[in-house]
Amino acid sequence: MKPEERQVLIERVVSAHRALDPLERLKSEPAFHDLDEAGRREAYELAVKTRLLEAALDEAGLSSTGRAVLARITRR
Amino acid sequence: MDLDVHLEAIGAGDTQAFARWVAGAEPAVRASLAPFAAQVDVEVVVQEALLRAWQLAPRVQRDGKANCLLRFSVRAARNLAIDEVRHRRREVVRPPSDEELPVAPVEPDPLLRRAIEECRAKLPKNPSRALLARVEAQGTESDSKIAERLGMKLNTLLKNFGRARQFLLECLERRGVHVGRELSL
Repeated sequence: MKPEERQVLIERVVSAHRALDPLERLKSEPAFHDLDEAGRREAYELAVKTRLLEAALDEAGLSSTGRAVLARITRR
Repeated sequence: MDLDVHLEAIGAGDTQAFARWVAGAEPAVRASLAPFAAQVDVEVVVQEALLRAWQLAPRVQRDGKANCLLRFSVRAARNLAIDEVRHRRREVVRPPSDEELPVAPVEPDPLLRRAIEECRAKLPKNPSRALLARVEAQGTESDSKIAERLGMKLNTLLKNFGRARQFLLECLERRGVHVGRELSL
């Protein structure tokens, strides 16, 4: 896998968006399964930093993960 | 900081109180899943664990220690991750004891917020657009849709987002702010 392709997969895993299955459960990001263990750890570490940055940019201090969860409970 | 100050309101269905709790709790829940990062999609587990906190908050009993709901969520997250590993690998995974679970909430940091705003103002145009678009999507819109909205190819959006994050992290480091250090990254 080219480094550029790997980076794209990592960025997809870093996103907080996850599709729902028919039972309204979150599905894992397909790119996660295309990464090796080192790539998955890198995605995790980048997600930690990304969420902290997002939270600091948000008026209520919520990351995109927090916003996604809030969206789920308010549309139920 | 004891996030249980929000527990009663959350149990009564107050979503604003839950949002304040999530802001402090999410980093601790995610940090607790570091040992599983190579095996499970941590983002899914974090969101499911936070959702369970909302659903089960009315039944959570205070035990005299701080951060009761956060400890419940960290335990739920670890158990979800273990279930996922067991499901995929059919292997025995030892559940952690409560003493092993990290439960330090994150407090709002106005200085970090100001530093990030100043760094963000210096971002090049396209990384700035990608960062803003993902933040505004609030985790509810796929990257493909965000890319379409911005008139970018998906890979271009993702690369620009990565550049934006790297730019911000480097800008913050020059100011002596090391994002994630308190979470042992």
